[in-house]
Formats: sequence, C-alpha cells, structure tokens
Amino acid sequence: MQAFLDQLWIARWPLWDGLLLTAGIAAAAIAFGTLLGGIVGVQLAYAPWWLRLPFRLYVDIMRGTPVLVLILAAFYIPAVAGLSLGPTEAGTLALTLFAGAHIGELLRGSLQAIPPGQAEAGRSIGLTFPQLLAYVLLPQAARSALPPWINTGVELIKGSSLLSIIGVGELLLRTQEVIGRTFMTIQFYIFAGIVYLVINIALDQLGKSLERRVGQH
Amino acid sequence: MNKPQPLLAIRGLTKQFGAVEVLKGVDLDLNQGDVVSIIGSSGSGKTTLLRCVNLLEEYQGGDIVLDGETIGYRSANGRRHRLGDRELSRQRAMTGMVFQSFNLFPHLSAAGNVMLGLRKVLKLPKAEARAIAEKWLARVGLAARADHYPSQLSGGQQQRVAIARALAMNPKLVLLDEVTSALDPELVQEVLNTVKGIAEDGATLLIVTHEMRFARDVSSRVVFMEQGRIHEEGPAAEIFGNPKSARLAEFLRNTRH
Repeated sequence: MQAFLDQLWIARWPLWDGLLLTAGIAAAAIAFGTLLGGIVGVQLAYAPWWLRLPFRLYVDIMRGTPVLVLILAAFYIPAVAGLSLGPTEAGTLALTLFAGAHIGELLRGSLQAIPPGQAEAGRSIGLTFPQLLAYVLLPQAARSALPPWINTGVELIKGSSLLSIIGVGELLLRTQEVIGRTFMTIQFYIFAGIVYLVINIALDQLGKSLERRVGQH
Repeated sequence: MNKPQPLLAIRGLTKQFGAVEVLKGVDLDLNQGDVVSIIGSSGSGKTTLLRCVNLLEEYQGGDIVLDGETIGYRSANGRRHRLGDRELSRQRAMTGMVFQSFNLFPHLSAAGNVMLGLRKVLKLPKAEARAIAEKWLARVGLAARADHYPSQLSGGQQQRVAIARALAMNPKLVLLDEVTSALDPELVQEVLNTVKGIAEDGATLLIVTHEMRFARDVSSRVVFMEQGRIHEEGPAAEIFGNPKSARLAEFLRNTRH
C-alpha cells in the first residue's frame, strides 16, 4: 500500500492533468452538444418533414453508432479530407456530435410532451413562434429534460475515456502511462475507477438538487 | 342614423376537418360592448368557431373581419393565403382567449402569467407590466395570490388568473371557451361572477357555454348553433323564453334538468 501511495504521489501531476482534460472535454462536449441539441430538438419537434429529415437522419446515425466508432471516424475522416485535427479536437468533436444527437432527441420528447394548450395560450396572447419557444415551451421542456441531460453528462465523462485510443492524454491514458512505468496495474486502475465514480456520483447529486429546485412549481 | 361598423363580422365561414364539414357557412356580427353567448350541443361547431376567430384553426372559406381588418388570410390573384407568423401573432393579440382547461403557464407565477404578454408583446417596462398585472389580479379577486404558482391555486383561481391574463392585454374582444366546464361544481360560481363583472365593465365578449342560466343572465344576444350552422339567434329572453324552432326547444328541454 505504501509503495502504491508513493507512486501515486510521484504521478500526481500527470494524473491531475489527465483528470482536468477529461473534465474539460466532457464540459466542452456538453456545452456545444447542448447548443447543437437545442437546434436539433426544436427542428425535430416543429419543422416540416423535409426540414426534419436531415436532423432525423443525423440523430439516428449518431445514436446507432458506437461512441468508439464515432471517435475513430472523427479522428481519421477529417485527415482524409485534408483537415488536420489534433486528437483532442477530434475527440471533442466526436463527443459533441454524440451529445448533440442525444440531447436533441430528449429535447424533442420533452417538447412534444407539453400539452398543446400551452402553445395555444401563448399564441392567443400574441406571442410569435420564437417568443413562444423562448418563454413558454423551452423553459418547460428544460425542466423535464434536466434528469436525462445530466445523464448525458455522465455518459460523456465515461465516453471520454475512449479517447485514450486516439492518444488523448485524459485520465485513462495518463493512468495507463503510470501503470507502464510502475507495473501496479490493479491499484492504478482501481484508483482511476474510483475517480470516475466520484465525479459521476457528484454530477448525479448536482442534477438531483437542481431537479428539486426547479421542480417546486 | 347610420349603422355603426360591427367590431367583429364573420361572413360565410366554412371549415372542414378532412371530409367532415364542421362549419357550413356561419354569419355573425358583434358590436362594441356586446355579450354574445353561443349555445348548442357538442359537435355543433361552437368551439371551432371561437378558435377560428382567434386564428388557432385554419378555415377554408369566408372572412373574419375584426375592427375593419380582415384577419388570418390575404387574397392575391383570387387565391387565399394564410398570413405569416408575425401577422397572425399581431392579429391574435387583438383578441383575448380563455380556455376550458385554463392553460396557465406552470413555470410562471400568477403575476408572471399576466405579465408575459405585456412584456413581450406590448413591450411594456417591467414595473408597468407588474402594476397592470396586479390591477387585473385584484379585479378578479386574487391580489393576494400574485406570487403563487398555478399548482398552488384552485381550479377556480387558475381560471380567474387566465381571465386576468386575457384582459390585461386590453383586447378588443374576449373569447371564452366553456370556461367552467373543467371546474368542480362549487368553483363554477366564482368564475361566472368574474365574467359577469367584466361584462358589466363593458368588455365585448363572445362566450361558448353550457351554463344556460349564466347565458341568460349575462348575454345581450344568444346564438344557437346546430350542425355547423347558426340555427336561431336573438335576445336572451326570447331564445330561452320563446324559442321559435322545434330543435332549439328540444335542446333547451334536454339541458334543463
């Protein structure tokens, strides 16, 4: 145990950097993915079929593809197209596209679950459609979409570990590098597992407390 | 004396849901300050008529003229085109609507519900919108409930907030769609009294209702609809006291228990 703690202390900065990168990539993916998903969800819920079609296609392809394949595609396809993305950019792009599709789909569900009387009441006082969205529909959809949205965040934290495959120095890759040097395989994997678990439980608790706060009315 | 232009003129209104003809040519005039109740059995088209006036439904034929402006459609080269979102919104703001199921915004307080249109449609500053909201909530007897959320209010209170929300926009015409049908029996009267109050204030009301006694008390005119047409119309006393058609007499017999 003492030997492990000594090695952990020696490796503390690389592991810390890995943790920061994991959190940073997941945060960027949830932020951009929420923007993207907001657009996608509104289109899926309200656009005419010909405009809805490309968004539906995007969502179904993203949701039907393993995250690892998305990551590899985001890493290799731009290179073929002559665009050079570093592993971190490519990984963030893949997770953003993944998050955008999931958030778009869950927002669509939340929007369509709002009783039609809400839109009619908003229209009857003279709100235009963008105003109706901003002040009546999205605030209500956001409430019911909050728990699955937090869940998407948890998925992204876990999914970011797959970026180690394309050489992104996030928590898992840093852990593997430490293992390569110390041969303390079990100890460091368990340590990394605990770190992921703590982050995700914290995120879950944050979600629950947010839910309680907005769920009062 | 020349006849004043009616505030609302419905001319030859027809509407189909697929193959079903719901409105088969409805003509109706309302003058400023009129309180007109529409009665009739369910499926007669009375709620659909109201929803057409508020542009929540599209209609295939006829015109609706509100205060001199033909609403909902424009004609170009002999073809009718539905107006765009912006124009429809502007025209909808001229009428207020109160729904059977209240449709209050659950994420906003009572005052927030009333203020939304004042702030975003009429673009009033916050303090002024708040003052108007408080005035109207007081008018419907809910001054003390301004900061309550819909889930904290009874059905009758929610419906009164909805009435305040519609009237605060200062509409030319208020449409009331079976506003007591979703209420517990003991809460009906408070809402009817509120409506009676705003009628006495001089608001122009077009009411769809199943409450015959209320229709009789509050209306200057009553319209009986049957199968998508206006079957009979006249002053409340005549419609209820001396129905001309056999169908109306039968309808009134069946609604009086």
